[in-house]
Amino acid sequence: MSGRTRLALCAFAATMMTAGALLPLVETSTWLLRAAFLLAVQSGVGALARRMRLARILTVSLQTLATLLTLTVAFAREHALFGVLPGPQAVQRLAVLLTTGADDVGRYAIPAPATDGILLMLIGGVLLVGLAVDVLAVTFRAAAAAGLPLLALYSVAAGLSDGGAGWLWFVLAGCGYLLLLLAEGRDRLSRWGRVFGGASRAPGGPAAGPDGSGHALAPVRTGRRIGVVALGIALAVPAALPALDGGLLGGTGPGQGGGSGGGTISAVNPLVSLQNNLNQPENREVMTYRTNSASPEGFYLRILALDQFSGGEWRPSTRRLRDVPDRLPQPAGLGPDVAVTEIRTNISASRSYRQTYLPLPYPASEVDVRGRWRYEPEGRTLVGDDGQTTGGARYEVSSLAVEPTAAQLAASAASPPDLAREYTRVPPSLPDVVEKTAAQVTEGAADDYERAVKLQDWFTTEGGFRYDTTVTSGTGTAAIERFLKEREGFCVHFSFAMAAMARTLGIPARVAVGFTPGTAQADGSVSVGLRDAHAWPELYFEGVGWTRFEPTPSRGSTPAYTLPDVPSQDPGDPALPTDGASAAPTAAPSASESCPAQGRQPGECGASTAPGVADSAGPGTPAGTVVLWVLGSLVVLTLPLVPMFWRMRARARRLGSSKGRTAADAAARVMAAWREITDTAWDHGIAPDDSQTPRRAAARVVRLGGLEGPAAAAVHRVAGAVEQVLYAPEPGGAVAPAEDVREVREGLRSSAGRWDRLRATLAPRSAVRVIWAVSERLAELGSRWSRVVGRVRPAGRLRRPSRQRG
Amino acid sequence: MTTYDDRASLTDLTTTAERVRRSVEGVIEGKPEVVRLSLTVLLAEGHLLIEDVPGVGKTMLAKALARSIDCSVRRIQFTPDLLPSDITGVSIFDQQRRDFEFKPGAIFAQIVIGDEINRASPKTQSALLESMEERQVTIDGHTYELPDPFMVVATQNPVEMEGTYPLPEAQRDRFMARVSIGYPSAEAELQMLDVHGGASPLDDLQPVAHAHDIVKLIDAVRTVHVAESVKRYAVELVAATRRHADLRLGASPRATLHLLRAAKASAALAGRDYALPDDVQALAVAVLAHRLLPTAQAQLNRRTAEQVVLDILQRVPVPTSGGAAASAQPVPGGPVYGRQPGARRL
Repeated sequence: MSGRTRLALCAFAATMMTAGALLPLVETSTWLLRAAFLLAVQSGVGALARRMRLARILTVSLQTLATLLTLTVAFAREHALFGVLPGPQAVQRLAVLLTTGADDVGRYAIPAPATDGILLMLIGGVLLVGLAVDVLAVTFRAAAAAGLPLLALYSVAAGLSDGGAGWLWFVLAGCGYLLLLLAEGRDRLSRWGRVFGGASRAPGGPAAGPDGSGHALAPVRTGRRIGVVALGIALAVPAALPALDGGLLGGTGPGQGGGSGGGTISAVNPLVSLQNNLNQPENREVMTYRTNSASPEGFYLRILALDQFSGGEWRPSTRRLRDVPDRLPQPAGLGPDVAVTEIRTNISASRSYRQTYLPLPYPASEVDVRGRWRYEPEGRTLVGDDGQTTGGARYEVSSLAVEPTAAQLAASAASPPDLAREYTRVPPSLPDVVEKTAAQVTEGAADDYERAVKLQDWFTTEGGFRYDTTVTSGTGTAAIERFLKEREGFCVHFSFAMAAMARTLGIPARVAVGFTPGTAQADGSVSVGLRDAHAWPELYFEGVGWTRFEPTPSRGSTPAYTLPDVPSQDPGDPALPTDGASAAPTAAPSASESCPAQGRQPGECGASTAPGVADSAGPGTPAGTVVLWVLGSLVVLTLPLVPMFWRMRARARRLGSSKGRTAADAAARVMAAWREITDTAWDHGIAPDDSQTPRRAAARVVRLGGLEGPAAAAVHRVAGAVEQVLYAPEPGGAVAPAEDVREVREGLRSSAGRWDRLRATLAPRSAVRVIWAVSERLAELGSRWSRVVGRVRPAGRLRRPSRQRG
Repeated sequence: MTTYDDRASLTDLTTTAERVRRSVEGVIEGKPEVVRLSLTVLLAEGHLLIEDVPGVGKTMLAKALARSIDCSVRRIQFTPDLLPSDITGVSIFDQQRRDFEFKPGAIFAQIVIGDEINRASPKTQSALLESMEERQVTIDGHTYELPDPFMVVATQNPVEMEGTYPLPEAQRDRFMARVSIGYPSAEAELQMLDVHGGASPLDDLQPVAHAHDIVKLIDAVRTVHVAESVKRYAVELVAATRRHADLRLGASPRATLHLLRAAKASAALAGRDYALPDDVQALAVAVLAHRLLPTAQAQLNRRTAEQVVLDILQRVPVPTSGGAAASAQPVPGGPVYGRQPGARRL
């Protein structure tokens, strides 16, 4: 095995070993095999190119091309031209995949499901790093520098997996790098010639193989020892130092405990976005629906549930996703005694309303929706997968209108311990005032239900709270304290505070985010606008399940069951049907608005204008990006072929230069043919020499090009005609230059080797004339410009004479 | 413009020249290029300097050329005591007629063979200056025309330096071309032994052309067309000698004239009525090299004038425009030899 081949193999191994660090990021591990195969193709192409002794830049280009092709075949075969070539559609597909991959990375916790987008990012990343390692270590023989891309790969893996990819992966990656270094050292040493193994060898035994690679060499062994010691120190020292948290051997790190594994969701901090929505100058329509609900005022559309309380804010936990079942399971905690009616709703989301959670009434029992949606059972939400959003979605939902009585709620049993533990957890940093206030407000209440109602009443009426959407949201644990003190805020503050207080009282609580019922239209449908965005607390009562409360004054509707004096069967006269909504909507909905933000990722809403622009272009990647990608790939693919195209065009022009019958036309034809012959010869490696007369040049072409018979005669014939044209008083002699040129070209091609023929076609040497022409044009322009400037600016001319005289 | 008559005389030219060439080659075997060059110089109204080591047939070539043409031939053996008047002639006072009578010198012939020209003193060598360039001799205020055609074929030995006077620059410049015969090949030498063993082949040589024929041929050569581009090429070649770093003295404008005339003759000998850059290239060394003075540094580096001329030939691009028809219409694709890698490499 040659040194370079070994080096290439080691580069491959090093990349794959480092790529192992990515394994914990995704649920499955089969993708690594795909990556290995594609990387092998890439390395193989590189090895072949190096064996053919191509220029380095050409080698790298070939590898890049191979990578692009393999990625196209692997991820966008159905969109590719002939199944291989990355046409515009394939590039668009790859771009879409990358975008959704980026979305998925943001959305899913570790380990994420192996969606196509994530796979493309992983495999593409491994291939990119592999290319960099191969280029650095093998093509440019700088193995040490190849550590940087490897380190980058490992760092990404370590960073994504929340604080360390485990010591095993580090050791593997380190070993890969060491392997690469050793191979390079060995290769370098062996190129010095025969190396003596040192005195430690058995007497009489060969010190080294004849090629210097047969046995471990002393210097290589030393290098190996240094590597092992360095790695050992790197592992041991952080473990020994108390300041460095545990080091690589210090356990699994916090990242491992985040989710219970597999297809989970995370993110969404609706606080800021909700406020933005509520403060919209226009109430843009986000969806319309028709429902057969008997109590439309209580028909809240829920997007997601925030169940993790950090003290400052509420977030959704990371949870496992699964496919949407035909019928959603029975809601948690809902007992058989509670009155339940099934209602059906047809919802139609606006095209401009694009976010990843499907607004549903709670608790939905059946959802009929098209698209890639997945189901999160704990929060009973539907999450868009692979870039799926609500934009333009039309779906039908069956949901349960749960109508518990106050008595049922009051009589609820203790919550299951697991659920109680999870949903009553408050951080130690929560200010004491929260708990104290909660206790104070609910003083004298007999049960959880009463406490909940007292809390709600305190917020809505008794506490003297004021609804104000312009209040600074604030974050951190102090926000809730400030809210309780200043008693100003909007739905987020009310719901967050009530849920937090409920938790301190031992009532399982979470915050739901979604929309209040909206505004009834004349045609019987209901329009929901951005200003209907809302957040409310959900409290858990065993036997009823998660129950909505409404602490926000002047928003939404207070649930009937929280009004103990009125029997639940009554229609309920609080009659605040759609307060906020009815007050607002006047303007027509605008489709251009987007990013309504409740359910969107914080990062996505950070630049709410950007998706807004692209919305009209359809789903997926912004059109501009796609066009740029397509153009870029086209340029990259066609750029190497430009010389060929130029050559073809030049040939066509010369051979069909003129059809005239005058002597001048004939002369032009002859000269064009001669030019074509000299250029064709040049393409085949016979560089033109301008100190040669046509006659000598022809002889040279015949000699160097190995031309015989008709081809040689054709060259001489054209050269003779050129002599006549150029030097004779009257050009004479009839020649058919085009045929002669073809004859010569055939002759040159047949005498050239296959590689030379290919090169003459694909990368004709004479195409350098284009560069000359361009440089001449530039020089001409430059001189013309300087003349113009000289004329316009006399000062410039005044300065010149001295130089001219000189 | 070529006319029917010109063409006819061109045909005559080639046939006559062919006869002379064969005649001379019967004596000087195995050196066709030397013979051809001699003929070229003859038809171009030039003078020929044959420079070579002794015994290779310098004088033989000169004599063979002279004998092949039916014309007056004089031979001058240049010796240190040769006087200018021996060459040009002398006015003697005729006591009977009580007047000066001009006794023409050896120069008054159609072909003058100057043997070992560098053995004469510079003063004597200078006697040739006027006659060679102006084809006349002025003595005592009287100018005497030289016959037509008139050609000086001089020989000199470059090796033997003792007792010789190198030709002054002005003298060298008057020779259209310098040629070296060189040693014959083994076969040619063997054949020479057989032929020259008995009698001198010169003795059997009969004239194959008359002086009148040669004059007509010279007229025909004058009609040979030289394209503007070829003229420019010749000028550029000569100009390049003046700029060349290895040369102390470049070629004179007379050299350009000689080069073009020789090129015309060469074209006519090839049966063409127009000169090619090839003709110029083929004659450049013979026409230019003997006029050039290499610098001391170049001499130290053993760079000869011939090498310098060859170097210039490889540097100066051959013109590929300016032809009668080619210049009429621009051709797509730019000039053929606009910028070439070959030229830049050299």
